[in-house]
Amino acid sequence: MGQKRKPVAAESSVLPVEPARKRSLLKRLDNGNEAENGAEKSPSKRDVKVQCKDNKAATLNELVDLKGCTSCLLFECRKKKDLYMWLSKAPAGPSAKFLVSGVHTMAELKLTGNHLKGSRPILTFSSDFDEAPHLQVLKELLIQVYTTPKDHRKSKPFVDHVLAFTVVDNHIWFRNYQISASKPGTEKLDKIDKAHLENMTLIEVGPRFCLNPIKIFSGSFGGQVLYENPFYMSPNIMRSLEKKKKTSKYVKKIKAKQRRKSHIGANQVEPDELAHVFDEEDE
Amino acid sequence: MADLEESDYSGSESEEEESSSSEEEHERPVKEPRKDAVYDTNGMHEKLEDIGWPDDLDWVQTCAITSHESRNQIDVNDDLVREMAFYTQALEGAKEAYLKLQELGVPFLRPSDYYAEMIKTDTHMLKIKDKLLHEKSKLEETDERRKSRESKKYAKEVQAEKLKERAKRKKQDIESVKKWRKVRQKTGHQGDDAPPIDFEDRSGKSSGSKRGRGGRGGGDRSSMSRQSRDARYGHGGMKRGSKRNDANSSADDSSFRGRGRDKDRGRGRGRGRGRGRGKARG
Repeated sequence: MGQKRKPVAAESSVLPVEPARKRSLLKRLDNGNEAENGAEKSPSKRDVKVQCKDNKAATLNELVDLKGCTSCLLFECRKKKDLYMWLSKAPAGPSAKFLVSGVHTMAELKLTGNHLKGSRPILTFSSDFDEAPHLQVLKELLIQVYTTPKDHRKSKPFVDHVLAFTVVDNHIWFRNYQISASKPGTEKLDKIDKAHLENMTLIEVGPRFCLNPIKIFSGSFGGQVLYENPFYMSPNIMRSLEKKKKTSKYVKKIKAKQRRKSHIGANQVEPDELAHVFDEEDE
Repeated sequence: MADLEESDYSGSESEEEESSSSEEEHERPVKEPRKDAVYDTNGMHEKLEDIGWPDDLDWVQTCAITSHESRNQIDVNDDLVREMAFYTQALEGAKEAYLKLQELGVPFLRPSDYYAEMIKTDTHMLKIKDKLLHEKSKLEETDERRKSRESKKYAKEVQAEKLKERAKRKKQDIESVKKWRKVRQKTGHQGDDAPPIDFEDRSGKSSGSKRGRGGRGGGDRSSMSRQSRDARYGHGGMKRGSKRNDANSSADDSSFRGRGRDKDRGRGRGRGRGRGRGKARG
């Protein structure tokens, strides 16, 4: 789900406030079901499945261009268990790659909210997004991709859900809530009573996921690395570490035995003075 | 929610254990950041300027709200705190956005009679509703079960208390009777003062049955009445042989039909049936 601002230079200089004609592209590599559910269904997004092995970047950029879009959101499944997400501005970059985890899809029955398909979301960001340059870039990318353009012809002009992007523990957490404020009369669509505003509650709609930023590139789907997450560890390494931990069980046991032996050898119990008291008495 | 989100951190946990095995005394060791990680601030600023939407862009175009609070410090592993933080951020943002939209005077609330395709289908919402109802009923059921269990327990206690009370009273009665007897013996059976207990009053049922026995002389041979003993142990000799024939029963032919009559009836019926069939066939 990326979207496009028609890159007509003259027009944009005359009307810089007109990003309304955006179109977008949502792509999936391989078959990521999670990805499909994880993606916000928005009217300005175009969904495409891609299957390409080599030269991924070029293929994708071409495809984005073909669809007439300027941004692209790509979900990529690896090994049927690791989900990666790309956020990219198509022709010139930048792009960011994330590892997606903690995915709960909208199909889950635990998330009870619901909202109009194609209504415009409110995006909320925690203040941390303004504190580091890489987060600023990510925020801009997220805004450009996740906003539904105002007056988009397929959108519905109502605001009934809110997306929350929060930085916690160097991860970006995504939540989607339905706004539930008891409705005023049908004739007033642009006003909400104070009381209603106070009583506003949110109901989670889903999906929810957690993005772990890996890298930010200067180009679209590649190019010079601008940012690298110093804490990032690939799931492969994590798994191998886990495995290693399991394999070293036997070695640990042997070591523990040896340690015990040496400990006993070093701290021998002194013979007890009173050990033979009763023996002597018998004689 | 915990299960999946924890999977995110399973990696870091494995690391923790790894480091703890190498005898590091940290509750939750902070992962060592890589020293050689790239951080190109200038490059990022440049790119940001490239792609950034103009600053004088109307807010309504993006509807993006940045909260004033940092939530980076909350504990990720505490699900409740974390979700609450997300919720409050979204709620504050939504309120702010609604106020802004109101100021702009653009319609943003959905009319109550506006029906359109929702992001979740009706069937899905029905499923959710079913699940909620099911959960509620389950909760009620367990509640009921727990309540009945508790009330049973309570009833048991009450019963035990009652029994204790009864035993105590019995003991008291017996003692008081003994005392009374002693006193009477000492005084040489003087005076016809009644025993200290009012038997009639005390034991409702048993006194009734005693009274029922009436003229038997008040003997306390057994607490059971004749009737109940008969019912329990049987009355009037052997019960075993009751199904056996004896001389009288074998001589009794009241349950037999007479031979002649039997023959007659049989034949008649047979013929009748035969005829009927023949007729039907013919």
